[in-house]
Amino acid sequence: MPHESLLPVALINYISLSLVIFLIGVAGVLLRRNPLIMLMSIELMWNAANLLFLAFARSWMNNAGHIFAFLVITVAAAEAAIGLAIVVVVFRARANVDVDEVALMKG
Amino acid sequence: MIEFYVLAFVLIASAIFVITAKKAVYSVVGLLLHFAALAIMYLTLAAEFLAVIQLIVYSGAILMLFVFVIALLSSGVAPFSVGPNRLPKIAVPAILTVAVILAFLIYGVAHVPAVAPHGVGQSALVNGTFGAPNPSVAQTGTGSTHGPVGAANVFGSVGDFGKALFTTNLLPFEITAFILMVAVIGVILLAGDAAPYVQSRRRARIVERDMREAILRAGEE
Amino acid sequence: MGVTGSYPVLFVIWLLPLLGAIAIWAFGPQLKRFAGVLGSAAIAASFVAALVSWGIATQGSGTQIGAQQPLFTWLQGFDFGLLLDPLSLIWVLIITGVGFLIHLYSVGYMWSDNAIARFFAYLNFFVFAMLTLVLSDNFVGLLVGWGLVGLASYFLIGFWFFKPSAVAAARKAFVMNVVGDVGIMFAIFIIVTKAGSIRFADVFANPHALDPWLFWTCVFLFIGAAAKSAQLPLHTWLPDAMEGPTPVSALIHAATMVTAGVYLVARCAPLWSASHDAQTLVGAVGALTALAGALLGIAQWDIKRILAYSTMSQIGYMIMGVGVGAFTAGVAHFFTHAFFKACLFLGSGIIIHALSDEQDIRLMGGMRKRTPVAFWAMGGAVLAISGVPGFSGYFSKDQVIYGALEHGYAWMWAIGLLTAGITAYYMLRLFIVTFFGAYRGDMNPADVGIALRQAQDDQSHQGAMIAHETHEPHAQDHDHAPGWIMGVPVAILGVFSVIAGYIMIGPGSPWARFFDQSFPRETLPPTAISEAVTTGLAIVMLIVGAAVAYWRYGTRAALADAPARLKRESETLPAVLVRLYYWDDLIEWLFVKPSQVLGEFFGRWMDPHFVDGVVREIVLTNRFLGSLMRSFQTGLLRAYALIIVFGAACFAVYYALEGAMR
Repeated sequence: MPHESLLPVALINYISLSLVIFLIGVAGVLLRRNPLIMLMSIELMWNAANLLFLAFARSWMNNAGHIFAFLVITVAAAEAAIGLAIVVVVFRARANVDVDEVALMKG
Repeated sequence: MIEFYVLAFVLIASAIFVITAKKAVYSVVGLLLHFAALAIMYLTLAAEFLAVIQLIVYSGAILMLFVFVIALLSSGVAPFSVGPNRLPKIAVPAILTVAVILAFLIYGVAHVPAVAPHGVGQSALVNGTFGAPNPSVAQTGTGSTHGPVGAANVFGSVGDFGKALFTTNLLPFEITAFILMVAVIGVILLAGDAAPYVQSRRRARIVERDMREAILRAGEE
Repeated sequence: MGVTGSYPVLFVIWLLPLLGAIAIWAFGPQLKRFAGVLGSAAIAASFVAALVSWGIATQGSGTQIGAQQPLFTWLQGFDFGLLLDPLSLIWVLIITGVGFLIHLYSVGYMWSDNAIARFFAYLNFFVFAMLTLVLSDNFVGLLVGWGLVGLASYFLIGFWFFKPSAVAAARKAFVMNVVGDVGIMFAIFIIVTKAGSIRFADVFANPHALDPWLFWTCVFLFIGAAAKSAQLPLHTWLPDAMEGPTPVSALIHAATMVTAGVYLVARCAPLWSASHDAQTLVGAVGALTALAGALLGIAQWDIKRILAYSTMSQIGYMIMGVGVGAFTAGVAHFFTHAFFKACLFLGSGIIIHALSDEQDIRLMGGMRKRTPVAFWAMGGAVLAISGVPGFSGYFSKDQVIYGALEHGYAWMWAIGLLTAGITAYYMLRLFIVTFFGAYRGDMNPADVGIALRQAQDDQSHQGAMIAHETHEPHAQDHDHAPGWIMGVPVAILGVFSVIAGYIMIGPGSPWARFFDQSFPRETLPPTAISEAVTTGLAIVMLIVGAAVAYWRYGTRAALADAPARLKRESETLPAVLVRLYYWDDLIEWLFVKPSQVLGEFFGRWMDPHFVDGVVREIVLTNRFLGSLMRSFQTGLLRAYALIIVFGAACFAVYYALEGAMR
């Protein structure tokens, strides 16, 4: 039997919550044109994934999920640093950071 | 029980605020709230160490970085959304896609097993009795039990996490160090010295103009 | 084979001309006319080395005869080496000896040509190639030389590359020779498969190892021989090859290269001796070529073309001789022919030179006074080729004709006799029209029956114009070579034309003893008609032919009336002879036209519609696919994100469904 008794609520609630947050992040990336807000939406998606890792780790009593969450945080930090650096560089080159204007790679 | 629903509400509300805020700095505030609520939720999941990490790294470091960048870019010119929305048509399909995924995932998630499938790092507490570690997973899992917070044998405690991180998962840990180092070097290279980029800005304009002309010519042909 | 061990002098004989060619090629612009001296010296040294080797080349017995020098082993069964035995010695001596005289003569003939260094480089290269051919001790080496002489011939026929006719002739010669090369290649395939070795010694030790392919080996070898030696049906390149400078015609297209076919048949004597059918075939082709060439010689007016058809005819004799099995006689005729034909060509070269490149004998006449050296030397050579008793051709030709009878081919014997008469007729015609009577060069060409001269003149005029631009003018400058430089070689060759036959009288002659060990000996049944009768008949034929020629051209009345008579003859020559049996037309119709039609088909239809069509379709398809792919490359970050999300959604849907199924 699952050890959902260890969780405050049933696992399905965590999964659904994580999914909703993730999709909110996706919507942010797709709908916003401000690169900073897009990066923040990506952070939302990372965190949704982390939440799921921890919920399953607790449910299965296996702290490998914790290790994964740790890795995710690390990579997210790196990603944020690089992403913000790119934003800064693009701003320096163009005086604006509208992602729709940065379209040199159009085929 | 009730704290989950409160936290879930806060999380979703703050997330929606993040992506709908007019100004980026408001988004940061929303994100701060989101991260704080998430840290509390981690505590309810017995992940004390990660809750602390969440607060320190995300709220403390990453969000500060965002704030600094916003401050940097907002000085003077209006930086965002200067041109027309070149992707107006994707809004509808994007939302439709999201809705479809949502529907499918919730349908599918209802069938996800709450226990690990056989052979995927099964819990030490599979037979429902604490303190009886399963020898077959002792090396992959933790073999920990409930106990006082902070003790090495308590699931999710700093000791438990540290042991797993520095023994079984030492190599991934070293790799994270490497990733961070690469990121630091990359950032320094990208944004470190302004002087080359004044030049490259000029160059980029020329390149952009040439390419526009080339594309126009190609279009005429 | 031969003397065991090695005989490095062969390297000297073989490689000196190559060194000369390389040196002249490399330093041609600096050497200029001295290139001729250098080239001649290389050939002369090679000749001396060959003479020195005389003793060692003739010692030994049976198949163990001659000097050899191993070169290298390529694959198993492919041992390359050089071999100098009596047969190749004769060829080497002619190639280097007559070659040296022709080199010397060329110094004068090419005196005012700016490309004289290139000429001598080619000429030396030719000698090297020809020596490769005759010195090789195996079939593959022979084929290498065979191809190289074809290449040298191509270079030299097309030497005046600004003349379109010369280029066309060079191409024709090359293509026809390649037909022969392929024939020899097939023969080598059979030999390697059946005999397991390419060395002459191994193959000839047991000719019947090639059974049941022995006959076809001979046929394929003979295809090569026929192409190189201008035998029917591959003869048409030889007259066209006269576009090259006259020394080239003398060296390559009279004395040496075209006799390579004779060499090949003589070299492979054991094969032919073992296959009676092959002997009949080769003998028949030789006899027919002799007759056909002689008949064509009657109808020509270009002095070099007459000599070319005469060459074809005489090589027909040689092929007939070696074909029927009278190897010694065939090679003897090669030996004498090399002298008198080279002499005839070089003499005609003197005349052509004196008349500023006029080659039509109708515009000559009276040359006896203007070119006495040519008159006397060619006189001797004409008597020799006609077979006048006491002159060299008499001895060798009689041997060939009688050899055919001796080996049981009476009809070839008859053709040989008939051809002897025709030969006497057309050679005397050439001689009388050229040297006697009054000079006709200042007459209106139409008055002596030369039609369509205008077009030719335009063409050659054009060529001359280009020549003026690229080379020093030919006839204009009066910087002529000393007269002896052209006269002496002609005189020497004339003398040899007269006396060369005296070494081959009778069965016990030095000549017969020289080849004692080279050819398979056979005892032949006595013939119904003795050699003396044959000789007598040949002399009768000679007298008849000569008398007709004298009656038509040589009498006092004929000489006085020469222009009118020549005009009448030009108009009444049988069309079948003038058009060369329509052979070129047949080849044109059989091969050239179908090839052109095929080319038209591929060029006009296949290429634009099929090949290009496929390519165009591929291009269009790719462009379409590219435009499809390009529509994804919007350059918009969010569009890419959307695609990623869509992909992730696909995975999500898949796993969700899979989970639901379970």
